[in-house]
Amino acid sequence: MRADATAVAAPAVELELDLDVFDGPFDLLVTLILRDEVDIWEVRVSRIIAEYVLRLADSGEFDLDATSQFVVLVAALLEMKSRLLLEGEVEDVLEDLDPDEAARLLVDRLVRFGQFRNAAGALRGRWATHAGTLYRNVPLPTALLRRPEPATRLHRRLLADALAPLLREPPVPDTSHLADLAVSLVRELRRLRRLLDDSGGFTFGAVAPAGRVERAVTFFALLELHASGEARLRQTRHFGEIHVARCARPALAT
Amino acid sequence: MLAVTPADLIMDHLSRRLEALLFIAPRPVPAAALAASCEGSEDDVSLGLAELAVEYAEGRHGLVLREIGGGFSLAVADDCAEAVRRHSGLERPEDLSSALLETLSVVAYLEPVTRADIAEVRGVSSEWALSGLVERGLVEEQGRAATPGAPILYATTGRFLKLFGLRSRAELPPLEEFALEAGEVEEIRARLLSNAARRRP
Repeated sequence: MRADATAVAAPAVELELDLDVFDGPFDLLVTLILRDEVDIWEVRVSRIIAEYVLRLADSGEFDLDATSQFVVLVAALLEMKSRLLLEGEVEDVLEDLDPDEAARLLVDRLVRFGQFRNAAGALRGRWATHAGTLYRNVPLPTALLRRPEPATRLHRRLLADALAPLLREPPVPDTSHLADLAVSLVRELRRLRRLLDDSGGFTFGAVAPAGRVERAVTFFALLELHASGEARLRQTRHFGEIHVARCARPALAT
Repeated sequence: MLAVTPADLIMDHLSRRLEALLFIAPRPVPAAALAASCEGSEDDVSLGLAELAVEYAEGRHGLVLREIGGGFSLAVADDCAEAVRRHSGLERPEDLSSALLETLSVVAYLEPVTRADIAEVRGVSSEWALSGLVERGLVEEQGRAATPGAPILYATTGRFLKLFGLRSRAELPPLEEFALEAGEVEEIRARLLSNAARRRP
């Protein structure tokens, strides 16, 4: 029942996935997970998000509805995954019930609730009798408190002086030492894919830019290519040159 | 020579001190606290309070002695309340809706409870009702449960006891007294079954 409802509600996200356990449109994956035909443990949600962001960047268009739908579905997947971490899943118990058992549970629940509703009725009666009673209900006068007042009276000028620095506008922080970072994982992935397609392979040293942050992004992009099975990485010794070679990908070849 | 006053018109010295304490106390004072302030034993204080209760029985003064919310307090006699309200502008608290009373009864009987416990009993989310009760000072947060997510625990307040005229939570009638009768249970079951039969295609 749950799977049908979600399948109807999720027509908008068009995303082709190529994961270890699944190859096809995202909507279908969600449906299969809901029908327990794909184990959600096997699905790396981060990969789905990365794919989606890549596709979004490639298309250059931003469809708010489709993206919202995607966020909702991904959130649902994450919720399902995190629920699995908690023991004693209530819904599973309920799903296994036969209708008679479910009806019996429902009656039990209504009977229990009826007890509290009756108790609420008794409370209503007490309220009608007692809520209007007036009790002494004021703070004690300061003079009767055991806690003494401060011995010395502070001048109001002191308070003003203490508050003044808080009211002053703080100076704008100097950000001149921060360079604008224009490093994009998406762009780097695209560049490396193009290089792989053109030459079939390269070394990290040959393609990595000079800056530290840029090199790190290139490295992340390489890891992503490796994780997605598009590239094979080889390094003969620690800190040695990384050789990157394209993997044969039947899915892409067709 | 002092004029002799009839002995039965003078309250015992302890009772007079208790009267003074209750006059000045802003909230119900437990017997132990009264004993400490009077430097007397709790037994003496009980006797003194009994004497005071006779003195402040309904119909004698504009004030009555009430045991309420875990202590003793002087309250305005019911037949004088109207004049006090006119003078002070104090109004009777607004009546509680059924949803608020139901939620309150769940909290009062099961406390400390989490939101989920309340929803489990009522079958609906009780966020709104619970925040209404907190706003009215009838329910307050009381720590967190040692379960996943550490949900907030809720319990009734001293104000709850006062407004419902209870000495303590123990004075609430046992929940079992409110159990549905066999006929009512049967009615629920029959109604459920007939609903189910009507929905079946």
